[in-house]
Amino acid sequence: MASGHISNGEFFTQLASLIEKTQKKGHGSVHLTQKRLSYETTAAPSKDDPLADLNPAAPLPILVRVSDGNTQSQDRVKNKDPVKFATVVQADELETFFARYAEVCKVGMQSLRKRDRSKRKKTKKGGAKGAEAKG
Amino acid sequence: MVNFDTLEEWQKQTSLLLQARPTTTRISTKYNIPNLEAPRYNAAKKRKRDTEGKDGDAAPAPAVSRATFTLKTFDPVSGVTLKFKTDKSADVGRMVAGLGRAGGIMAALPEKAEGMLYNRLEAQGSGVDHSIAPDVAMEDAAASTGTTLAEASKDTSQAAPTEGKPAAPAAAKKKKKGKK
Repeated sequence: MASGHISNGEFFTQLASLIEKTQKKGHGSVHLTQKRLSYETTAAPSKDDPLADLNPAAPLPILVRVSDGNTQSQDRVKNKDPVKFATVVQADELETFFARYAEVCKVGMQSLRKRDRSKRKKTKKGGAKGAEAKG
Repeated sequence: MVNFDTLEEWQKQTSLLLQARPTTTRISTKYNIPNLEAPRYNAAKKRKRDTEGKDGDAAPAPAVSRATFTLKTFDPVSGVTLKFKTDKSADVGRMVAGLGRAGGIMAALPEKAEGMLYNRLEAQGSGVDHSIAPDVAMEDAAASTGTTLAEASKDTSQAAPTEGKPAAPAAAKKKKKGKK
C-alpha cells in the first residue's frame, strides 16, 4: 500500500504478468481481494448510526488488491519485497473492469482442469490397473 | 465457515451478506497451483516406499499438479465466511461474473443491472456437471487398499512370534474394563 494505487490499465498488465510468472514457476498462488473503498467517506457505520452504510447517496468506488501471498519466507522472516498492488475502480467503470478481469483470468489460469477430460480419464484408469497388478 | 457446493448458492448468500454489511465485507479470490515437491505432498509417498521396498512402484505415481480457484467472502465484524472452490477452468468466467455482480452491490449501484446479471448467471448454472467426485473416490480406494494390504501382511508376521507371551490376556482384560 505504500506505493499507492495504480491505474486500471497498469493493474491488468501487472496482474497478467504475475499469473504468468506463477504459471511458469509451476506452483504458487495469486490472491485477489475486492472491497468497498470506504476510506474518507461519510458512509462508514458508527456507533451513533450503525446502518449508515446501507444506503449511500452516491455509488462508491471499489478497491481491488492483488498479492502473491509471500509475505513471509519459510523461516517466518518478513519478506521485504512481496508482490503487492492495488487499484481503485469507479462505480461506472465496474462492468468494463470485470469483463477485462475475466479475460485476464481465463487466459492466464491454464493449470485448471479443462473441459475436455476424455484423455486424462483413460490414462488414469490404466495407471490404477497397473498398480493393482503389481501389489 | 461455510463451504458451498454450487456457485449459485455462494452467490446468493454473498449477495445477502453484502446487502447487510456492504462496507466491511470483502471478497477474496485465490488461484493456487500446489507445489508437488513440498513435504506435505511427499510424506505419504515415502512411507509407502518403505513398506513395499520397491523404488519402481512409487515412481510412476500420477504427479499432476492440479490448480484450484477459490472464492471467499468474509465479514470481519460478524465473522461470516462463505467459500466456494473449484478446479475447472470452465467455472472461472462464471465466477468472475459473480465477482462483478458482488462488486455492483459493494459500490451501491442501482439494483436493475444486478438483477439482469444474476438471471444470466442462473441460466448458465443449470449445465454444471459434478463429475469430480467419482474420480477422487476411485483414487482414494486404490491408495488405501494398497497400504492396508501392506500393513496387514506386516501385522501377521509380527504377531506370529509373540503369540506365546502373556500380552494377549492383558489386552483382553482392558477390553472388559472398557465395556463396563
